[in-house]
Amino acid sequence: MKKNRWIQVLATKNEIGTLLPLVIMCIVVTLVNPNFISFSNLMDIFRTTSFYLIVGAALTFLLVASDLDLSIGAVTALGGVACMFAMKAGVPAALCIVIGLLAGAAVGIFKAWIIVDCELPALIVTLGIQYAVNGIVSITTKGMSVSGATEGFKVLGQGRIFGSVYITIVIALVIAVVFQLILSYTKYGRSLFAVGGNPETARLAGIPVKKRRREVHILVSVFAALAGILMASRFASAQTTAGSGTELTVMAAVIIGGTSMFGGSGSVVGSILGCLLLAVISNGLVLIRVDSFWQNLIFGVILLISVAIDKYRQKLSSAA
Amino acid sequence: MAEYLLEMKNVTKKFPGVLALNKVMLQLKKGEILGVCGENGAGKSTLMKILSGTYPFGTYEGEILYEGKTIQLTDVAVAQKYGIEMIYQEINMVLHSSIAENLYLGNLPGRGQRVDFKSLYAGTKSILERVGIDAKPTDKVAKLNSGQMQMLALMRTYIKNPRILVLDEPTSALTNSEVDQLMGILKELRDKGISCIYISHKMEEIYRICDRVLVLRDGQTIGCHETDQVKEETLIEEMVGRKIENLYPKTKVAIGEEVLRVEHLSVPHPTMKGKNIVDDVTFHLNRGEILGIGGLVGAGRSEILGALFGQLFKGVTKEVYIEGQRTTIKNPADAIKAGLGFVTEERKLNGFIWMLSIRDNMYLASLKELPVKGPFVDVKEENSRSQVMFDRLRIKAPSIHTIVNTLSGGNQQKVVLSKWLVKSPKILFVDEPTKGVDVGAKAEIYSLMGELVESGISIVMVSSDLPELLAISDRVLVVSNGKITGEFDRDEMSEEAVMRAAIK
Repeated sequence: MKKNRWIQVLATKNEIGTLLPLVIMCIVVTLVNPNFISFSNLMDIFRTTSFYLIVGAALTFLLVASDLDLSIGAVTALGGVACMFAMKAGVPAALCIVIGLLAGAAVGIFKAWIIVDCELPALIVTLGIQYAVNGIVSITTKGMSVSGATEGFKVLGQGRIFGSVYITIVIALVIAVVFQLILSYTKYGRSLFAVGGNPETARLAGIPVKKRRREVHILVSVFAALAGILMASRFASAQTTAGSGTELTVMAAVIIGGTSMFGGSGSVVGSILGCLLLAVISNGLVLIRVDSFWQNLIFGVILLISVAIDKYRQKLSSAA
Repeated sequence: MAEYLLEMKNVTKKFPGVLALNKVMLQLKKGEILGVCGENGAGKSTLMKILSGTYPFGTYEGEILYEGKTIQLTDVAVAQKYGIEMIYQEINMVLHSSIAENLYLGNLPGRGQRVDFKSLYAGTKSILERVGIDAKPTDKVAKLNSGQMQMLALMRTYIKNPRILVLDEPTSALTNSEVDQLMGILKELRDKGISCIYISHKMEEIYRICDRVLVLRDGQTIGCHETDQVKEETLIEEMVGRKIENLYPKTKVAIGEEVLRVEHLSVPHPTMKGKNIVDDVTFHLNRGEILGIGGLVGAGRSEILGALFGQLFKGVTKEVYIEGQRTTIKNPADAIKAGLGFVTEERKLNGFIWMLSIRDNMYLASLKELPVKGPFVDVKEENSRSQVMFDRLRIKAPSIHTIVNTLSGGNQQKVVLSKWLVKSPKILFVDEPTKGVDVGAKAEIYSLMGELVESGISIVMVSSDLPELLAISDRVLVVSNGKITGEFDRDEMSEEAVMRAAIK
């Protein structure tokens, strides 16, 4: 009985579909270039993954609640820039981080208000916000990076625990674990699945649908800003292009990890694997000396395949 | 000339893990109406999808004969070439296009790319007159009610000169007078030599219009009878596969004091300005009572429940007293807090969440009451509580972790009911509780409602099913045009009395 259930769980868990290509990719790259599994290379991959994951974990919540966000990249840049402006003005580092997060939250609140309360489509609204926030970043920085990171602040993005594992990786992992626990084992997580699965059913069951949607929109922006702050710490300065393109990469990673585009299902563990897969591919391509121009093509194809699998899964369960 | 216009022989269709049809036989004569009945999941829809070419030739076993010759229905267009046309239960209209364009959808008169509007509108006008719809050909379809749309769908296929019409539960959105009209048109078509396959749950309709009736159960042909030579009980027995002792089990419960009083409830009409769909309605509900609300579709019955529950809010005026206390309900969350529950009519739309498990659906309205261990949900306890409910309602599914979408209509309805049982409200609203539920599960749902009132819950039930309304309710209110036009106690109720009040 127990064994039987395990097989069932394995078959229905979306994560397996991501784990398999990940393992294959790792093996292939290692065979071509054994440097792949060197400690320093793996650390590099995990570090890249952790930047994706910090946003990806929050984005998983948003997709589960059947929404999306294309403004992640701009908010990432904004978070870093706001933080570094404060630091340049001599504000203590801890407070600078808070300021960066607040900048993200402000965008998130505005975004949530337009999408949830004014009922405009998230796709267009977040696209507009992406442009607007990018504009704000360019105007305030005149397109220049903002430098002046204090030594203490740099530890966050560059420091290692026990001299080996980057702190960023630990932060991302903690966030991911906490988010996964919330999603599967709390009342809050359950309500997100309900909101994404069928908002009208959820509303009639007394679940505060609008409130939940506002919360996850704000959450994503705050964590996008956090990613930006960590990047600023890593490079000791805030780049205006810091997050450009990440909104698509992270969204792709989350969907590849098995979170449904149609809401109502998903997991952070899947998103970890999705982020890892994309990081391994971009790293691996360099190691096996494939032109990096191929990377976008491969990402695109993988994303299309995952969306197709998602749709197929839906069809399967509705035909039964 | 073959004896039958259409024959389906030994049709077998398999889905992964499921045998949907098992050597089904169907014979259709020219100019007859053949009823097809069976419980949900009996295979009716699958059979019709094969006939319409949706499941093309080659995806099933068996043979289809047309005028005695074997044919291969390789896709929908081929089926239409043979004059096989389908009319589905769900309305499919382009709402924001004109009536004329919908009627001639894919079939517009005119040469080349040019549309011949003159004959388009003239043709439409004559058809509208014929079916008694008071509208202009250029009016948008969105202005029509669901009954008129269904009629339009019928006429859309009619103008394509079909030889075989397949209707799948065509009356589920129609009012009684519209049903009459539909039946009239179908009889007219039959007399012109068009054959119909009429899929329906409703015994009354089968007897009224069908010449013969075919019963399916679990994907097999159980029997085929001349309608005037078979008793209703026999058909039901064949559909269910066992004898049903009592179709409408009714539990006797002592009626207590007033638990709900509603005064001056008004709800504005969603499309017509200045008109109320519910107009100054006042009523009360007693403890342990099942209060039935009857009337025609569109009379405002569902809106009464929706407005009380806070599903509808815009422009609603009401005074609600629960157990004597004036209560303000602005949204469903308020309603639930005040002790109300609501099993809606459209369970797919807003009753359950299809990709979630039975367990997760059960706790939708009671997330706050989930058992916890520290910050986390106590999954073990949650599972065991869900299992108890699962067993109590006799939900037929592999386990509490089964996805709700895979269940039959009756079992889905039980899951929706269980959502409110877990919450245990004081007052439960149920809107068409047995819609799309097969005969066997119906009786179980009625006894469940009996159990609920026994435990002190009071129920308001909207129902279009007259036998059900009369058998289950302790008291019946009839709504017509947004007003209460009749109130009957158990000893005064009769189908005629309710109908008379409903058309007032």
